[in-house]
Amino acid sequence: MSSMISDMDLATTQLILPELLMLGGILTMILVPNFGNATMRIPLTSIRIPVLFGGTRFATTNNPKLPNQIATTTLALAFMTSLLFLSEEGEVGNSLYVNEFSRIFTLVFTTALLLASLATTARLPARPTASAPLDTDSIANSDAKVNALIDNRRQVDFHILLLTTGLGMSLMAMATNLFMLFVCLELASLSSYILVAFHKETDVGGEAGTKYFIVGSVVSAIGIYGMSLLYLWNGSLDMTDLAASWDAMEGMDPLATIGVGLMLVAFGFKVGAAPFHLAVPDAYAGASSPVAGVLATASKAMGFVALMRLLLVVTMPSTGQAFWFLTLAIVAVVTMTWGNLAALTSDNPKRILAYSSVAHAGYILAALAAIGSGLADSDMSTLIVTAVVFHLVVLVLFKLGAFLILSMLEAEGKGHKMEDLHGLGRRDPVIAASMFVFMLSLAGVPPLSGFLSKLLMINGIVNVSAGTSSASAATALSWAQGVDPVFWLAVAIVLNSALSLFYYLRIGLVMFFESPVTDNPLKRSSSLRMAIIACAMLTLLFGIGPLSNSLLDMVGSAVDSFMGS
Amino acid sequence: MGGERLIDDPLSVITLVPLAMGLILMILPRVLPNSSAEGLIRVSRNISMGVALAIATITTMLFLGQVGSIDWTNITQGGYVLQNEAVDLIPAIGVTWKVGADALSFPMIWLTAILIPISMLVEWDAKRGHLFFPLLLVMEGALLGVFVVLDLFVFYVFWELTLIPMFLLILLWGGEDRRYAAMKFFIYTFTASVFMLIGILVMYFHTEAIAGLGSLSGHHFDLVAMTAQENLIPSEGLRHFVWLLLLIGFATKMPSVPVHTWLPDAHVQAPTAGSMLLAGVMLKMGAYGFLRISVTVFPESTIEFVPLLIFLGMVSLVYGAWVCMGQTNLKRMVAYSSVSHMGLIFLGIATMQPLGFAGALFMMFAHGIISPLLFAVAGAFKHHYHTLEIGSMRGIAHHSPWLAAHMMLGWMASLGLPLLAGFVAEIAILIAFWMTYGWLVLLPALTLIVTAVYYLNSMQRTIFESNDPEQGILPETLHGEDPSDLTWHENAGMMTLAAMTALFGIMPFIFWDMMSNWSSGFVIDTMIEAMQTQEWSP
Repeated sequence: MSSMISDMDLATTQLILPELLMLGGILTMILVPNFGNATMRIPLTSIRIPVLFGGTRFATTNNPKLPNQIATTTLALAFMTSLLFLSEEGEVGNSLYVNEFSRIFTLVFTTALLLASLATTARLPARPTASAPLDTDSIANSDAKVNALIDNRRQVDFHILLLTTGLGMSLMAMATNLFMLFVCLELASLSSYILVAFHKETDVGGEAGTKYFIVGSVVSAIGIYGMSLLYLWNGSLDMTDLAASWDAMEGMDPLATIGVGLMLVAFGFKVGAAPFHLAVPDAYAGASSPVAGVLATASKAMGFVALMRLLLVVTMPSTGQAFWFLTLAIVAVVTMTWGNLAALTSDNPKRILAYSSVAHAGYILAALAAIGSGLADSDMSTLIVTAVVFHLVVLVLFKLGAFLILSMLEAEGKGHKMEDLHGLGRRDPVIAASMFVFMLSLAGVPPLSGFLSKLLMINGIVNVSAGTSSASAATALSWAQGVDPVFWLAVAIVLNSALSLFYYLRIGLVMFFESPVTDNPLKRSSSLRMAIIACAMLTLLFGIGPLSNSLLDMVGSAVDSFMGS
Repeated sequence: MGGERLIDDPLSVITLVPLAMGLILMILPRVLPNSSAEGLIRVSRNISMGVALAIATITTMLFLGQVGSIDWTNITQGGYVLQNEAVDLIPAIGVTWKVGADALSFPMIWLTAILIPISMLVEWDAKRGHLFFPLLLVMEGALLGVFVVLDLFVFYVFWELTLIPMFLLILLWGGEDRRYAAMKFFIYTFTASVFMLIGILVMYFHTEAIAGLGSLSGHHFDLVAMTAQENLIPSEGLRHFVWLLLLIGFATKMPSVPVHTWLPDAHVQAPTAGSMLLAGVMLKMGAYGFLRISVTVFPESTIEFVPLLIFLGMVSLVYGAWVCMGQTNLKRMVAYSSVSHMGLIFLGIATMQPLGFAGALFMMFAHGIISPLLFAVAGAFKHHYHTLEIGSMRGIAHHSPWLAAHMMLGWMASLGLPLLAGFVAEIAILIAFWMTYGWLVLLPALTLIVTAVYYLNSMQRTIFESNDPEQGILPETLHGEDPSDLTWHENAGMMTLAAMTALFGIMPFIFWDMMSNWSSGFVIDTMIEAMQTQEWSP
């Protein structure tokens, strides 16, 4: 361990500085809340020196807001450092490679977790002061003191898990080895299972967490089994080696194909693709809103990074159709349609957002399938991947933003029924307007960033299929019969977007049309409020104007570094 | 510097300034400390009015040639004046900020700029004025945006943006059933414009990259370049499909039967200023978009679908007029008469004659000054008599002579009395229709008689007839009090509109020359060629 650290030079440190910061944050979180005024007497003297551990904790280390402050600061620092060293590129060890692509996802993950952390500032109840029980205390008194400590510890646990999730995710984005990728994925997943179950204020939290954990671990086992088959086939899990063997493979080796297929199941679960999405709505509805938001954005982005590595780096043939094209295309259409239909019939805003997240996974899968059709040249593939990454980036703003608003409602014990949103426009016009913006952006209405990302994805699919139909077709029908089947993926996205308008607008409109159940203004939480308003503004600014362009440039050059590798 | 900028790019200024000012006036009082916020609220109405008047002045000066000195009568199709240098908004997908005006859009721009201060004046004592007047400014910016931009993406954004202030106007200042009306209005027009968006996207995916734009996707939303691109959508079937998608969006806004049902509800519930703008400008957005995009870019499809246009136009005209006869609610009647008049626009286009196009353009403008007058009258009636029922009273002329005078003039103009603005448009469309379709003209011509019947009937029942010449019959909603006549600001607003109605009836050439020149150019350049390829004859 010590030799490893000494081996790391400054450049390497700089490369993984965001991750080191998160690690540091975790350590701080373990140590600092334990600091107390315990002293040790130097033997044979009467000099007492403070040892920090034990005794009664100081007011600062005792503060229930401290873990949240540590987590927020750590994540903000990690965000800023990854932005600062965006273009640094290099290898760390032999299974991690840092480039702009991994950096941009570190940005996505830290932003999502930062927002979740801001939203939990005032969420977890805890007593303001707590001290260790003394020997002289009565049993009841001592129990109360222990309970107070545990209350306070909940904060620590929650935020440590947030940070480990972030650490796992952002390491995963750098992994160039399937094994490393899986380990990091599991670090993030296991933390997120507990985060889902952490919502003990409701009855469903524990159930959701258990369900999510059981399904998740079975799926992981399947994925690892697939990976072991790949190892058996190739003898190495390094992605460059695998890609080379895949290219050299003649015909279809069943071992390799089955291995990749099983891994697709695991990643498909992470992104919430049908038919592996069934645990998603339960998990989202049971988890507290900020956590559900993280699952819908960061966790999904993580699944797509893994998927893109497997599909585009390892198994994409240099010419012709990829073997997964048809499967992925069908899964994409089923996913988006299923998600939208289920969202239409749901009455719980969190479930609606969960199903909408399933539908969005379908759109992205459709875009990836278009690359797999083999009709796309490398420019076109780059464009589609840019669209996908851009979508995953801006999704953090409007999907998580919507969950943050639900989190405000949850703070008053609501947010699980459509009625809870009724009349929000009267109770808090600014928040309601932001929610409206988020819904429109999710639906893909110009000029919001949700439209830009969706247009770029559709554009990729249409360009791939452009010119495959006869230009002189007399009717729209005969034109449609001639066009390459990939084109229908674009039609499916458009039709599904139109379908999804109904439930997004429903959420948007009940806030203004129905009378509120209560007239009390929303609980004031200025940091969360600012975060929501910032999300809404950025949703617009990343959709139109110079800021959207610089973000697209940033994503574009990140994707170049991915496609080039 | 400021003056130069104004001369360089006046259209962007008149679009963006009201938008920005309106938003600032709405948001600033919430951010400022209390004392200065109250001060701002107090002057909010005056500032809004000032901005609106300034914009009306700028547009008028543009027309009169004091700014920019443009030869308005010789604008050809495709020759946009007052264009700016395109500014990239989203270069990645080829969206630019590009504005321009021609004979199709300028009358609408001027109309919007004039109507906003008038509608502010008519509702000068509106409740919650610190929100009402800035909201009208936002509305002005959004409406002007629709008419000035030449980029379909930005066009769509402004198109949707007009929904929000109107939606809020109905929802916050509307009548008793305002929620239902606002919801219906929103859902109808929003759903329809989704079809339009899909049509625009199909057009977008057929465009070829413009050198130097740096579009990542290889396409652009530039309407001028789309029009110039030979055969934008090569497949005829797909082209017709896109044309129909666009038609759904535009016909709902216009509105044409069978997608008109949101209009009467929205009008009845909207506040007076909202109704005035809805009828005066927002309905024209549909006709404008239809001419600007569908007809200009796809002349062949337009010719292919002329029978559909005639059908929609005829049905709207006849059905609208017929339904009017059964209405007892004043606003509802005027709303259906709008449906009826909008049908004439489709008929004018369907003639494929320069005269018909010019008539349609003039109808857009004339209806844009007459219907706000009618709605201002209806609003004042509601305000002073607390009812909108036509049969509930007799003898307004006795109690409120000014209101009665404006009501008379408005109704006369709407039924097409010569020397008033509506007549010019109607007669032009009917002559053009006769030139193309011969005696089929009898159907629209006779419908105008129905129009006359319902207006004269209502006039008889409300303004004049009275059982007791001393008193008339007063509606029960007044609870025995004496009704008052118009307030000064209502009267001033209506006077301006009435004067304009007469002015453009007596001297239609102010806009007519420009419109008819543009229309002949348009028909000769675009339509004749398309007629030949389609081998069209009426």
